[in-house]
Amino acid sequence: MIKDYLPILIQAVVAIGFAASALVVSIILGKAGKRNPTKDTAYECGMLPEGNAQPRFSVKFYQVAMLFILFDIEIVFMYPWAVVFREFVRAHHPVIFWSMLSFVSILTVGYVYAIKKGALDWKK
Amino acid sequence: MLNILILCPIVAAILALLGAPARPAALLASLINLVVALLALFQYDKTGPAFQFVSEFGILPEWRLTYLVGADGLSLLMLLLTAIVTFAAVWVTPAVARLEKQFYACLLFISAGAMGAFASVDLFFFYAFHELALIPTFLLIGIWGSGDRQSAAWKITIYLALGSFILLLGLIGLYQSVPVAARTFDIRALQELAAAGKIHPASANGVYLLLLIGFGILISLFPFHTWAPKAYASAPTPAAMLHAGVLKKFGLYGLLRVALPLLPDAARHWTHLLIILLIGNIIYIGLVTISQKRLDMMLGYSSVMHMGYIFLGIASLNTLGLNGAALLMFAHGLSIAALFAIAGQVGRRTETLAFEDLGGLAKPMPFLGFAFGLAAFASIGLPGFANFASEILVFFGAFQSHVAGSPFFGFRLATVLALWGVVISAVYMLRAYKAVFMGELPGRWSALPDLKFSLRLPIVLLLATLLFAGFCPRVFLAFLAPSVKAASFRETLS
Amino acid sequence: MMPAIYLEAIVLTLGVLLVLMEAFSNSEEKTPVAWLGIVGLTFVFILTFFTANDLSASPYSAFYHADFRAIFFKRFALLTTIVVLVLSIEYRGVVQKYVFGSRPQAGLGEFYALPVFTCAGLMWMASAVDFIMIFVSLELVTISFYILVAYMRRNAGSLEAGVKYLILSALSTGFFVYGITWIYGVTGQTSLEKIGAILLGLKVSHGPLLFGFMLVLTGLGFKIACAPFQIWVPDVYQGAPTPVTAFLSVGSKAAGFIVLMRVAEVFLPVPWINHKAVTILVALAALSLLYGNLAAMPQHNLKRLMAYSSIAHAGYILIAVACIGSRYANIAVSFYLAGYLLMTLLTFLVMAAVANQAGGDDIVHFNGLGKRSPYLAFAMLAAMASLAGIPLTVGFFGKFLIFYVAYEKGQFLLMGIGVLTVAAGFYYYFKVVRAMYWKEPADDTPVRTSPLTGATIAALAFCIFFLGVYPAPVIRALEGPPSDNPRLLAR
Repeated sequence: MIKDYLPILIQAVVAIGFAASALVVSIILGKAGKRNPTKDTAYECGMLPEGNAQPRFSVKFYQVAMLFILFDIEIVFMYPWAVVFREFVRAHHPVIFWSMLSFVSILTVGYVYAIKKGALDWKK
Repeated sequence: MLNILILCPIVAAILALLGAPARPAALLASLINLVVALLALFQYDKTGPAFQFVSEFGILPEWRLTYLVGADGLSLLMLLLTAIVTFAAVWVTPAVARLEKQFYACLLFISAGAMGAFASVDLFFFYAFHELALIPTFLLIGIWGSGDRQSAAWKITIYLALGSFILLLGLIGLYQSVPVAARTFDIRALQELAAAGKIHPASANGVYLLLLIGFGILISLFPFHTWAPKAYASAPTPAAMLHAGVLKKFGLYGLLRVALPLLPDAARHWTHLLIILLIGNIIYIGLVTISQKRLDMMLGYSSVMHMGYIFLGIASLNTLGLNGAALLMFAHGLSIAALFAIAGQVGRRTETLAFEDLGGLAKPMPFLGFAFGLAAFASIGLPGFANFASEILVFFGAFQSHVAGSPFFGFRLATVLALWGVVISAVYMLRAYKAVFMGELPGRWSALPDLKFSLRLPIVLLLATLLFAGFCPRVFLAFLAPSVKAASFRETLS
Repeated sequence: MMPAIYLEAIVLTLGVLLVLMEAFSNSEEKTPVAWLGIVGLTFVFILTFFTANDLSASPYSAFYHADFRAIFFKRFALLTTIVVLVLSIEYRGVVQKYVFGSRPQAGLGEFYALPVFTCAGLMWMASAVDFIMIFVSLELVTISFYILVAYMRRNAGSLEAGVKYLILSALSTGFFVYGITWIYGVTGQTSLEKIGAILLGLKVSHGPLLFGFMLVLTGLGFKIACAPFQIWVPDVYQGAPTPVTAFLSVGSKAAGFIVLMRVAEVFLPVPWINHKAVTILVALAALSLLYGNLAAMPQHNLKRLMAYSSIAHAGYILIAVACIGSRYANIAVSFYLAGYLLMTLLTFLVMAAVANQAGGDDIVHFNGLGKRSPYLAFAMLAAMASLAGIPLTVGFFGKFLIFYVAYEKGQFLLMGIGVLTVAAGFYYYFKVVRAMYWKEPADDTPVRTSPLTGATIAALAFCIFFLGVYPAPVIRALEGPPSDNPRLLAR
């Protein structure tokens, strides 16, 4: 029982080890230059770090991001489905095919709805 | 037949709400009920089975829950009381200024609830019908009441709700204290089970206590009485008549019908507690009544006090005392209804019921004065009225109960104290009579009109019934005897 | 006879259809969406009577049961949703005011379509007997509620409610899932049936299992709105659009209770869990009763009052849950919920009608309703009487059953608290009655309702009295006809 969890332990060790070693290596190898205010600012995708604490984003950002996540996550379901598909059909029944088809068709409805509502129309 | 008694007021109430002329509908319905109740009384076969006119409709067969109505002598008497008081109450109702339809509908619903409770032979519906009166009472006092109506309405509603849910627990306990296979809501079947000793003795005492407190709150037993006087004082006259005259009898009827016959040993077990409480009713409340300064409050307290006598009869647990208690329920219902009706008429004319403002009213209103005198005498228990006959039975029964073998001499003491209670009630009733109808008449009231002839009829009806029952109690006792015997059957066995 | 699982499929398809119809139609008028929803759900409701009652032989039976109770709660969900849609049509003016878009009725279509999805989730949950299934259906319900609660996005109250509901509901879901993982960790199963067998059979480690059970209980406590997990209730109920509040208080609570029943029926028979679990359930019930009833007393806003009353009713139902093992505990819970559905929805319907005219849902706005519109006032009177528990109404029969099982199980503490709090309940429910009949109205104009709303109000009020006098139909639906039930004949 406990042996089954060994990979998790190993993964945890590797994760912690990687983070720790990255820090350590950067301290050892990095050239400790002189600190200045510009250097101490947070570096984030080239955006100016100063400004309003709550900048206004267009709600389109969120819409697109959510749609992306929705349709992206569904792939996760398809992967294991594809892996077991052949054996499942042989052992049981092609019901597995129809269930995925219904799943995808529901997704399609969602996609059609999103387009119809103009969620992907940036200018609107 | 009994279904007519229950349905007639409900149908009339619904018709009134839908727009039929309210007063004629209510009068017609209560008249029909009076006739039907009298018919039932005459048709009742005293040699036949205890419960007659039975009709039923299955609700939940696997629980043996049925809509089951039937009547024996005791319930017939109560039904008659309800019919008479309803008729009188509807008749004496003065013109209603606002929401007239709702007013009569409320009265009729109270009446239907009382009819249903007295006619039910099924525990569940027996309980449920009584609660039909709860909302109408709240509305009657709240909308059409006088004085401190708001707090009175809240108090009576919450008090009675609490009491009835305690009662519900007691009834559930009763239902569950027989073996699973035999569980039933049918009171007849339960009585047979009790006779066969099938009721679990371990839970009996607790269940009886729940029933006693539950019913006790509804009856205004001594420490739970505070809702009653205020509510009766604030309620519009017909509501006070119905509630004090009829609805309060439900609890006593329940004790006689359910608690005593089914749990006789537990009743004996709690006798001493009951005696202490009922002495509280008679003496303490009696003294409180004397100190009242308003006619309506005094009548409210006196109705609480007289419950003590009925309790005494019930506590005696012998045939004499129980017969007396049952008859006294009938008599008290009539006399207190008459008193409230008269007080209502006086209050309408003078617009005050405080003793210090009133006086000498017998001069402009001889009929009201005379009727009040008769009703007051009845209430005190003067010979010739039903109250006398029944109180005598109660006292004899209670006194005898001591001889029956208990070492505790509480019964004798209680009887003696209760007899003093008669003196107390004589004191406050006569004082009230003097303060209202005798003495000097304030000038502004010298031209007050006496009661119209048509309005005299209901009061005459109430008083005549009282006198009839006072002179011929045997007529009524013949109806009561079999059902009361069932309640005290254990006594003969032991 | 068709398999019960088709019902959910049909409801889901209906929901998808509604959404598409809304998206493709060019019509300004969105009410047809609601009408189609009502008609479709009514059709499904009729279909439930032609549904096979047992799925013992089906491949789904490990995670999907279609027993009498499941079918009963499916009907329950359908009925609730139908009434909620009626309520939404009545309430559309208010929603429109706070959701202005490019067109006058923009956004209303989804307001009508989302409850249908919630309904599918509720129906699914009624049948779910596997933790994964339970969780998925719970999420379907909860996520659609996230949207619905915050629907009036220009209204600060609705937004506040939305945020509170989102955060606390997500937290509770977290508890729930965490509990499931602990139970899975101990037993290696997610199917309730198999978990039950393992609990009764092998030696399992007590601590972790109990911990998991408590976490699940906590998660469900949020759903059924019992104290001490009730903090979100008043604000969310008051802020959310009235139809959604009605849906939350009936649908969400019922769903929580059916899951609680399914879980408790597995865990409570285990001797070493029983004692502790019952103690906790008793504590929850007592707290909810006291908190709900006492806090409801000073309320002035009817919606808020209903929120506290919903906590109180959760307490009453929990009494019966704590008595699982009694023959009638299941019936008591289900019957009480059925009664709660009728009286709560009736209250919200009348409230919406009155609020439309008076411009608010404080108790003051009901002043003199008895004079203005006697029928509405009478319906409200019926609802309040039933909520308070006056005999010959459905609410009383529910309380009767609750006290019945409590007495059978000897829960005297709960009975005592129950009786006291019932009396407290009379006070605050009758406050509404007082406003309607004692007080003088501000203006005499009668309150107008659409014929559909009027008919629904009449039907609900009729059911309150009918089932209060003749409760057999509900009990039959839960137990099957007496001849089918050896348990009852054996008595």
